[in-house]
Amino acid sequence: MNYKTQQNDTTITTEMTGRFTFSDHTVFRKLIDEITTQTATTQIFDLSGIEFIDSAGLGMLLLARDEGEKKRATVILRGAKGQVKRMLEVARFDTLFQMED
Amino acid sequence: MPANPDLPTQRPMQMSHRVAIAGNASVEIARKVTFGPDVFAPEDVTDTDFLHGAGIEDFPRELRYQACFLPNLVTPDWLGALPRLNCNYFIEAFEGLDLRDLSPLRRPYPGPQWDLLTCLSTQSAYHLPIARKFVTALRRRNVLHDKIAPTLEIAVQEAFSNSLLHGNMEIDTTGHLSMEKFNALEQTTRDRLADPHYGNRAIILAARQLETGGVEIFIHDQGRGFTPPQNTDLTAMPGSDSTFGRGLSLIKTLCHDLKFERGGRTIRMRFSGDAVSTAPDMTAPPRPPLVKTSTSSISPGSLTGRPPAPAKPAANPAPETVKIYDSSTNHAAVARNLADESDELHHARILIADDTMISREIVASYLRAEGFTNLVFARDGNDTIDQVRRNQPDLIILDIIMPGMDGYGVCKELRSDPVYAEIPIIAQTALEENEGRTRIFQDGATDLILKPLNKSELLARVRIHLEHRILVKQLRAYRDRTQSELVLAHDMQSMLVPRPDYYRTVGRDYGLSISATFQMSSELGGDIWGLAPLDKDRLAIYLVDFAGHGIGAALNTFRLHSLMWSEDEDLHDPGSYLEALNVQLKRLLPVGQYATMLYGIIDRKKAVFRYACAASTSPIIGKKNGYDFEFLNGSGVPLGVTNDARYETRETPFSDDCFLMLYSDALIETPFNDGNMLDPERLRDVLQNILMRPGGNADLASQVTDYFYDHTPRDLTDDFTLITLQPQTPD
Repeated sequence: MNYKTQQNDTTITTEMTGRFTFSDHTVFRKLIDEITTQTATTQIFDLSGIEFIDSAGLGMLLLARDEGEKKRATVILRGAKGQVKRMLEVARFDTLFQMED
Repeated sequence: MPANPDLPTQRPMQMSHRVAIAGNASVEIARKVTFGPDVFAPEDVTDTDFLHGAGIEDFPRELRYQACFLPNLVTPDWLGALPRLNCNYFIEAFEGLDLRDLSPLRRPYPGPQWDLLTCLSTQSAYHLPIARKFVTALRRRNVLHDKIAPTLEIAVQEAFSNSLLHGNMEIDTTGHLSMEKFNALEQTTRDRLADPHYGNRAIILAARQLETGGVEIFIHDQGRGFTPPQNTDLTAMPGSDSTFGRGLSLIKTLCHDLKFERGGRTIRMRFSGDAVSTAPDMTAPPRPPLVKTSTSSISPGSLTGRPPAPAKPAANPAPETVKIYDSSTNHAAVARNLADESDELHHARILIADDTMISREIVASYLRAEGFTNLVFARDGNDTIDQVRRNQPDLIILDIIMPGMDGYGVCKELRSDPVYAEIPIIAQTALEENEGRTRIFQDGATDLILKPLNKSELLARVRIHLEHRILVKQLRAYRDRTQSELVLAHDMQSMLVPRPDYYRTVGRDYGLSISATFQMSSELGGDIWGLAPLDKDRLAIYLVDFAGHGIGAALNTFRLHSLMWSEDEDLHDPGSYLEALNVQLKRLLPVGQYATMLYGIIDRKKAVFRYACAASTSPIIGKKNGYDFEFLNGSGVPLGVTNDARYETRETPFSDDCFLMLYSDALIETPFNDGNMLDPERLRDVLQNILMRPGGNADLASQVTDYFYDHTPRDLTDDFTLITLQPQTPD
């Protein structure tokens, strides 16, 4: 997985691309470190560039949510499609996150 | 259906074996494994050749390899060997490989039992998209239907990561994790990967096609084992109380039979062959009901709640389709055959099987009166079988009610033998009730006529079935001949394209590393590419794509190839070279046929790429760091359209930190499995992702091809050519 973060006012948007799987622990840790140093009321994870996610990827999104909530930010998953969208549905992530198309 | 029809089922002893050594894989370890007890039986490997290749394209697809050894710390480019190498066993040659009780590697003797097997170190496997490549490879080997591939990929991904992390690396991730715990986990993960005790444990992923058309996947690890939770509903998906605990539930939902063996160090998953059209489904056992079916299906083709595909009767093979490559010759052949046909029709051998002599004579007299004189007779069922084997008739007229073996028995017996599976059988019977009629068709009769016989009805049916049989025979013979000619033409055409050892050597002379993939869609294609060293600093490269493929397009590639080097054209100016080539090609090509082409010169001294295009794809120049890509201008009039086409020579800097990529339009115009094509935006992302990962600069064309194969249907409808050139960086 590769990512790019971008801050506009009070919103941090992270565009993620590639496959998001168990072997991304290190890059994800770096991503969270980067996000938590900034202050934002909304954290958007743009998943439109992710083509495959596994259960470890889902778990890391949950961690991101926990971290966001600690900072009282709204965490939004945006643009999931294909396999990623179906995985989020199966895991009932719509009940845990705010989702956007 | 065997996944590799070219593979002999019983191979003679003492046959020479081929083992592929990929890149810098250790020959010493490869020899140790090959001659050791783990893979082959000792008497089976006495005559073994070890063949080296610097890239995947170095191992010709016509040759079969018994095993392929991958370099230690396998890089993503070599993972591309799974779909592309003619080999079922891929083993990472690493120090510390100790298979111990993992005898499944050995079990396949004497013939391969696994349609695909990979054995990797934990260290390598952790960083590789192994599930994706494995499933792509199964798709391309026809072990797996495109439709169930997405489902299988998720299940393999989950099961493999389970065996890798919890098995080999002994990492515990249960429950809810805080960020601190996650960070500690991440640290542990890195430590264990670096620790040979964990990092050198092997993990084996293997698949075989089941006779029912399904697929069975095994994953073996070398960890401490795992006891699956008892009495819990595995298919229930955890909520926010579990960070990483969804894998097992997913697997359970996706596959149709899940078992743990070797004390939890082996996971076995079975997937039904629902969507596999090549295998008869009738024999497939009914799928056991799932404990609980997830409410939302994971994929449209997932195994849950999908009705089985309509089954085809096994005795009736699908009708042969005749591939027509060149319509004009084919029509002529059929017309000529029709003229000979009446003759052949009357020479056809007809077997009349009836237990009463008078009935046999009546049928015979009707046939003789119409000029059918090649008649043979059988008195009862067993005699019918004997006469068929002795006389090889073209048609059988068969009475159903006979002493001993009756007509039903004869039909069944003949249809069970592939040699007689297609011989027309006209059954005659006095039975009028539906049951007997239905049964005789089920047992394999082609047609049915009622007694007492009506002469003109009998003759009409005999004629129709014979004509049909003769036509099919002729078309088949024609097709066989065409096929063998196509193979020859295919070999000739592949000689027009540079071989890996050639382009690599030439590349090295110019300090370039060149990587290429070339695949024809049907037996023949309309793509060619090549290199022409001009002087010590300048190397010319061209890529041509003729409209269409098949014989017509292939002939055009020969035409062009003979033109390119026939006269002393000015090879040094791309624009005027294309102009000269266009005039010649216009003269040779039939109206309506054309080619797109790129001709360019890499000048290493001036660090520029000068090129001209005739409606080619846009060459890509990019920085090796994964940023800054430029789609160059590929516009221009196609070759062979008009005599006065003008071509502009364009120039762009080509420095040491750049790469150049040329490709045929199949790369960007083939619909992907998700319905989209590889548009410039997506291509940019793909290149960036490849270049930014470790080993991303190695064999770039191969890696882009792998991405392409991962996402496209198995059968390409257009030729695919992809070439990348990068200045070699001193290391």
